Amino acid sequence: MKGNRLTRHCGRIQRCYRLLVAIAWLLCCTVAVGQPTSVSGTLGAVGSDTMAGLMLRWGEALDHRHPDINLQFQAGGSASAPTALVAGTTRFGPMSRPMSDTERQQFIERYGYPPRELKVARDALLLVVHRHNPLASLTREQADAIFSTSLDCGGLRPIRRWEQLLPSEQWPYGKIALHGRNLASGTHGLFQDRALCNGQFRRDISEHPGSSAVIAAVGESPNAMGYAGYNHLNSMVRALPLIDDTGHAIRPSVATIQDDTYPLSRDLYLYVNLPPGDTLPPAEQAFIELIFSEEGQQIVQAAGFVPLSQAQRQPPLLAP
Amino acid sequence: MTPPRLPLSRQPLRLIHDRIATGLITAGGIGVLLAILAIGVFLVWETLPLLTFGDALSLNTLSPLAWGTLKAALAAMLFATPIALGAAMYSALFMSARLRGRIKPMLELMEAIPGVVVGFIAGLLLAPWVEQHLASTLLVLVWLPLSAGLAGMLWYVASAKVRQWLPLSWAGVWLMPWLAIMITLALWLAPLLEHAWFGGDLRRMLDQQYGLDYATRNALIVGIAMGFAVIPSIYSLAEDALADVPANLMEGAQALGASRWQALWKVALPTAGPGVFSAVMIGAGRAVGETMIVVMASGNTALFSASPFEGLRSLSASIAIELPEASPGGMTYHLLIFAALALFLFTFLVNTLAEVVRQRLRQRYQRLGGNR
Repeated sequence: MKGNRLTRHCGRIQRCYRLLVAIAWLLCCTVAVGQPTSVSGTLGAVGSDTMAGLMLRWGEALDHRHPDINLQFQAGGSASAPTALVAGTTRFGPMSRPMSDTERQQFIERYGYPPRELKVARDALLLVVHRHNPLASLTREQADAIFSTSLDCGGLRPIRRWEQLLPSEQWPYGKIALHGRNLASGTHGLFQDRALCNGQFRRDISEHPGSSAVIAAVGESPNAMGYAGYNHLNSMVRALPLIDDTGHAIRPSVATIQDDTYPLSRDLYLYVNLPPGDTLPPAEQAFIELIFSEEGQQIVQAAGFVPLSQAQRQPPLLAP
Repeated sequence: MTPPRLPLSRQPLRLIHDRIATGLITAGGIGVLLAILAIGVFLVWETLPLLTFGDALSLNTLSPLAWGTLKAALAAMLFATPIALGAAMYSALFMSARLRGRIKPMLELMEAIPGVVVGFIAGLLLAPWVEQHLASTLLVLVWLPLSAGLAGMLWYVASAKVRQWLPLSWAGVWLMPWLAIMITLALWLAPLLEHAWFGGDLRRMLDQQYGLDYATRNALIVGIAMGFAVIPSIYSLAEDALADVPANLMEGAQALGASRWQALWKVALPTAGPGVFSAVMIGAGRAVGETMIVVMASGNTALFSASPFEGLRSLSASIAIELPEASPGGMTYHLLIFAALALFLFTFLVNTLAEVVRQRLRQRYQRLGGNR
């Protein structure tokens, strides 16, 4: 009994000793080796939930390139990015819409300089219908007349029924069932701004908490139409070409979204808190380099967005 | 009967234990009360800035949501109350004890299904199916209760031998194949009836004749899904109230010549009435507060329509969808807090009322000499 306790005691001391040696060793190593060769640190980013998947993939790639850098992303919607930037809790704010003037003003008031705006990828809003729907294309006036009550884009009267779009067809018929995003999302705001000419939405649009929910709802209902982000497109639905001012039907594709001919295309932004004349710390710099590299832009494509064209791929913050 | 005496030396220790336990429990209770009070105060405090924005706007924005909440709850209660109360009456008074011992826990287990799962199934599987088979769905909804009644009539006129073979106390089991056959029959008949009466397409006829819109996710779907979620709580409480009716009352009634049916209507229901009422109230409270089912199955359209085929948007769903992206201090934020306050007050009042009524009932049972 007594001997037993003694050996146990001994074992504990030995283990402590080993642990101490190990810790000392580790400390030596980090001091001696860690500093000069690799970049390390934790990057924080707060912002758009549209870009959550993209940020996650970028974070993984960054982890692969520099195992010591750790990207922590908090998706709280585009509106959360300026708040976090102003509060100073993060240096990176990904947003799926440009910063509004008031948000920019708040930032300038706090820091005395504007945030750096980087366009990191392209995206588009799609008008989608059921995959078997025979409708060929829509003009922008029609799109506005379908979704709005104010008709600010120049339509003459509201379009409520499929018969007004497809007079000779037997199917679909009846009321157009409308699907869209919820009030607070950036997609909702952008669609209101760009497709409705800043008009008022109809009240009977089903509001879904995500673009994939919109796509799912449209895909299962033959007389439905909805708007959603480009990255959620799947084979359940068909994206409608839009007719631009010159009368051409423009199909949403990588090329038309890249060169902005598709009318509802947009930039995705990364806002960076960087005083003018300063350079970023190495970890942050590595992240920016990754985004604008070939690998980073392939990740954009894998995440369902449209990569930047070659001309747009200049990483603007590179150290001089 | 007095509890066994403890040796004198151990009594003080036990007293201390008792004191500590009582103190902890009291502190816990007071803590919960304070927490509820704090939630109320927080909500009121955060709603106050709304007064400066002008109240006309907030009323305009919130009234369709309040209507949507009531519409969803009403639809759910219309679906759930008859089923839950019927099940409670049957299982408390008619069902065989062996069957009841199995069925009751199973039904109560239904309450453990998360709202998200129910909403997911309703929104992504049920809603599209109903949209494509509207006539069949409506026919099944009407035909199922009728066919159960038909089974009852057939059983009533059947010979004594059949009745012995299919006893009333096991009806819950032998009705299942009957109802399955009836559902199949309805599904088979529906397209034929639709063709004969509604020109082949009920939705098109509703649209052309009455101008009724049909949305994929609508009050009907919400009613079915949320009714499904509310049934277990109503059933469980109502069943307890009915089963706890003092046995001497029921036996007395039957000894005086009342049939079981008469004993149910004239004795059990009036006695257990408050309990049944509070069960329905608690179900309504849950239906009003339920969030995920409404988010996923209702389409979230803020409409002022009474049509069961159009969407709705409830207060709780609005809070769930919009609050994460509403900037604190803004108009939307305060409006959502106001919605939360309305919701809190409503469920708090309904639940308190139900609980008070239930306490009264418990006292009544004690007076009547219940042995439970």
